[in-house]
This record gives sequence, structure tokens and C-alpha cells, in this order.
Amino acid sequence: MKIWIVILAVSAVTFLLRASFLLFADPHRFPHAFRQALLYVPPAVLAAFVAPGLLMPDGVLDFTFANARWLAGLAALAVATRVRHPVATIAVGLPLLWLIQWAIR
Amino acid sequence: MLDSAERREFLAGCRDVAPLIVGLLPFGLVAGVAAVSAGMTPVEGMALSILSFSGIAQLVVCQLVAVDSPVAVTVAAAAVVGLRLVMYSAALAPHVAHLDRRWRALIAYFLTDQGFAMAVARFAAPGERAARHWYYLGTAAALWASWQLAVLAGIAAGARVPPEWSLDFAVVLTFIALLVPVVRTRADLAAALVAGGVALAAAGMPYRLALVVASIAGIAAGLVLERGRTR
Repeated sequence: MKIWIVILAVSAVTFLLRASFLLFADPHRFPHAFRQALLYVPPAVLAAFVAPGLLMPDGVLDFTFANARWLAGLAALAVATRVRHPVATIAVGLPLLWLIQWAIR
Repeated sequence: MLDSAERREFLAGCRDVAPLIVGLLPFGLVAGVAAVSAGMTPVEGMALSILSFSGIAQLVVCQLVAVDSPVAVTVAAAAVVGLRLVMYSAALAPHVAHLDRRWRALIAYFLTDQGFAMAVARFAAPGERAARHWYYLGTAAALWASWQLAVLAGIAAGARVPPEWSLDFAVVLTFIALLVPVVRTRADLAAALVAGGVALAAAGMPYRLALVVASIAGIAAGLVLERGRTR
């Protein structure tokens, strides 16, 4: 029973967040500062996911070569700046991670 | 019936989003596996996926359900990681303000990181604008169907996916592929670097609050750098 309450409540909250400005607020009355701030949301939020994903695989900062993730991630970043294709980033990053994990085992 | 411009936009949306779907499939698998690992039944896992349609929310719920955290805490955590959706909602709203409420509710339900990235590029492009929302619907329908299939596959595979495959790393790679194209100016770069740094420094904060603190710090850094340049 509790799990269904969680599922319904989380889904409702997620929808309301998505609907906030699309359904309930006047998009022509955003303050200018808010519009400017919006520009930096995607780089900030995405980087806030990527950095711990690369450098904290087990919840603690790991800059050593025993952590294959930041090495593979750095290579993936290099690929992503040259080839604007998400498939290329994954096609290089994931096998490289496997390779490094296999090599340092 | 759809007129030809609407159909063309819809199909273009389906086609253009295909590369992002390749990155989404491992993410969906991970979310499905996580639901089973957290002790959810397949029906509960799919209900969460279909109703919330948010990979990050699904992963957060699974993490917190696995440790049996209180309902209020789980919902609050999902709201926190969903805050970026408010920003997407605000950015998209001016482009679809002319549509009726049913359309805007549909657009809201389908709003994702990937769908937003595609929609912003298309809505800003020059040319005839009347059928642009059908492009969004095309990307959304393709993302939705492939996401649900991937989650279903993850639920079916359950705990049998070996951890050595590091499928969760595909999620990070997807975000790298989304991140690089949005870093165009020095202010963008500052936003990304500060957010990344703060995310690492604040990682000890409970309930994934580090993500929100880091995001706000990054946005502030971008604004500061932009102001410094124009002065």
C-alpha cells in the first residue's frame, strides 16, 4: 500500500513541476533575471550529475587510476566535443570503461 | 487527420531523436533493474515508470524505497531532483502559449531532459512555426515508447544483469553527450565547472540535496560571469 502512495505522490509532484509554467503561470511575465538564469540551467544541472558520476563511483572522491570512470569519462568528453553524436560518446566511453576495468583488475 | 505539415514535423521529431534514444536504452534498463532490486513488483515498477516518466525520479524512488525511507522524504527528494523540470517548463512555455490546455498538459507530461533539448532547438529554428508542437510530440512519443520498453526489459532481466557491465555508466555518458553541446560560452563553462565542483564538495548532503545546491551555484556563476562581460 505504501509503495502505491509513493508512486502516485511522486508522479503527481513530477507532473506539477513540469506543468508549472506550461499550465499555471503566464510565460510573458517572467522577470528578465529569471530568463537569464534559465540559460545556465542545462550546463549547471547536467554537470552536477556528471562530476560525481565520474569522480565518486562509490560515494567518495576517487582521483586514482583505480577508478576507471574518470579516465573513460575524460575520453568520452573528448569524443563528445568533436563528434556531436550521443551514440559516439557511449560507443567509446562504455567499452573503454570495460577495457580499463579489465586492465587494472 | 493530421495535415501534411503536422505529419512531417511529427516524423522529423521521431527521426531526429533517434541518436538520443540509443543513450536512453541503457538508462531505462538501469531504472528497471533498480525497481526490481528495490523490492518492487513488475506492476509497481512499470506503474512508476509510466506515471512519473522520469528516469531520475525513478532512480531516486528506487534508492529510497530500498532503504524504506518515509513517504514524505521520498516525495521531497523526487521534487528536488525534478526542480530542473520547472526551468524547462518556463523555457518552453512561451513557445506553446497559443495552444489549448489539453495540449499543454500533454506537453508537460512528456517533458524530459532529452525532449527539452530537442524542442528548444526546433522552436528556435527559423521558418514556418505553426506545426512545431507536432515535432515535440514526435520526439516525445519516440522517447516514451523506447523508455518504457527499456524499463520493461530491465524489470524482466532483474538482478541477472551483472554489475561488471557498469550499465549505470551509460547514464553518465548520456549526460556528457547532452552537456557538451550546451556549453557554448565562457559563462556556460563557468556554470558547468562550478556546478560540478560544488556537486563533489557537497556530496555528503542528505537526500541528494547536493544536486540542487550545485545547480544553483552553477547558475549563479554563469550569471556573474555574464554580468562581468557586459559591464
